[in-house]
Amino acid sequence: MHGAANSSGMGARSSSDIAIDLCDLRKTVTVGFRRRHVDILRGVDLSVRKGDVFGLIGPNGAGKTTTIKVALGLMRPTSGVVSLGVCGLGEVGYLPENPYFYDYLSGREFLVFCGRLFGLGPEQRRARADDLLDGVGLKASASVHLRKYSKGMLQRIGIAQALINDPRLLLLDEPMTGLDPIGRLEVKRLIQRLHSEGRTVLFNSHVLADVGELCTRIAIMKAGRIAWAGTVDEALALSPQGLEAFFMHVVESEA
Amino acid sequence: MSQVVAITLNTFRETIRDRVLTVIVLFALVMIVGGLWLGSISLEQQGRMMKDFGLVSVTAFGVVVAAFIAATLVRKEVEKRTVFVLFSKPVSRGAFIVGKFLGLAATLAVVIGGMGAFLFVMTLLVGGGASGMLLAATALIYLQVLVLTAVVVFFSTITSAILSSMLGLGVFVAGQLSHNVLSLSRIGADVATEAVSWVVFVVIPNFNSVDVKAAAVGEKAVDWAEIALWGGYLVAYMVVALGAAALVMRRKEF
Repeated sequence: MHGAANSSGMGARSSSDIAIDLCDLRKTVTVGFRRRHVDILRGVDLSVRKGDVFGLIGPNGAGKTTTIKVALGLMRPTSGVVSLGVCGLGEVGYLPENPYFYDYLSGREFLVFCGRLFGLGPEQRRARADDLLDGVGLKASASVHLRKYSKGMLQRIGIAQALINDPRLLLLDEPMTGLDPIGRLEVKRLIQRLHSEGRTVLFNSHVLADVGELCTRIAIMKAGRIAWAGTVDEALALSPQGLEAFFMHVVESEA
Repeated sequence: MSQVVAITLNTFRETIRDRVLTVIVLFALVMIVGGLWLGSISLEQQGRMMKDFGLVSVTAFGVVVAAFIAATLVRKEVEKRTVFVLFSKPVSRGAFIVGKFLGLAATLAVVIGGMGAFLFVMTLLVGGGASGMLLAATALIYLQVLVLTAVVVFFSTITSAILSSMLGLGVFVAGQLSHNVLSLSRIGADVATEAVSWVVFVVIPNFNSVDVKAAAVGEKAVDWAEIALWGGYLVAYMVVALGAAALVMRRKEF
């Protein structure tokens, strides 16, 4: 069943087509008083093509968030190679899991601050902030301090800050978390729009229905490795009962 | 550069909006006014008492703000995970440390400058001989507090906020005394003790060397060339402390 797609979920490819290439990525951390070694990533091989909407799924503790953090440089790999097919972090947008932002800033101030981090000019960052506030449905709350935002509003402002630099590559860690059905629909539409604009989106999610609906390719992680990778259609061909059944099969049967 | 400016402005906004800072500044202003009352019970010494008590208040509250706010600047970003937002963008760890430091430095300039100006005006009103020395003393207090801020920022990259504050306060007290320790060790004529005192003298920033409070109060002469030399040493100390903090940050993972 798992041999249907190669380890990275890619067929023949050239390096110019690749947005993210992770090669034998390993991450070991030491924990506790006795400095016990724990392998979080155990040889992740993953390639994401430019223009893909790529879903990284897996049970809790599989290493999805760590994979994204290593790709961004927030964590250093113990070994392995990370290659981003963009010109550095200036072309990357990132939404952390359960985001927390500066609660003493208003939504607009926060986006203007993020724009300044990317070196945008004063007019450009103000215009971009206003566009994004409108785009994520927070125009009416633009001057409200983030401490007064609900969880769903924080998720939306998080998505807005990830887009402030008009990125070619987006890494979204659980983008649907905390959103109500309307918010989830809006984020899904946003991801579809980004895809139609030719941007690459990699996101983590536990909501398999969203993954099936949005993704061109998926990878299932288990215990620090990619257990399966391929297209949604390939997964469904292997498991006519649906994506959830396929996911359960991979997670329960992979050594 | 725009990253440093962004973090500086954000930190300034963060610290200036901190209610704890408002309480500390109000309390400091009350203490300076309290110098008026102390002056009124000391015959013919109202201006002198006002300046003496006021400068000590400016120092004490500047040190409290530096020690306790600087200790939380970096740690809060890590604990609240706002570093994810920063370091997933083209922001270097060095720019982060420099920006955080400059942001608090700007806040301290407002706080200490404001307290110094208030003291100057109050001294002027009571006819206590407000002079340029009073402003120079305030500026040198600001320099000392900046060095303390850099030291506390460094400690906060390697330990908890509360321990960073305590270590910072310890360094500040030791820095007031290191000059005396060196002088005392020379009296004993013990080579080992003097060597250890020298090490302490060099490692701990010598805050006392730029302290001109006594001269500002008594209008005594000050050797400005010596002050400039020690000022240069303190600026170098500050740069080294921030450089060390940036190096520690570069090794950190989030």
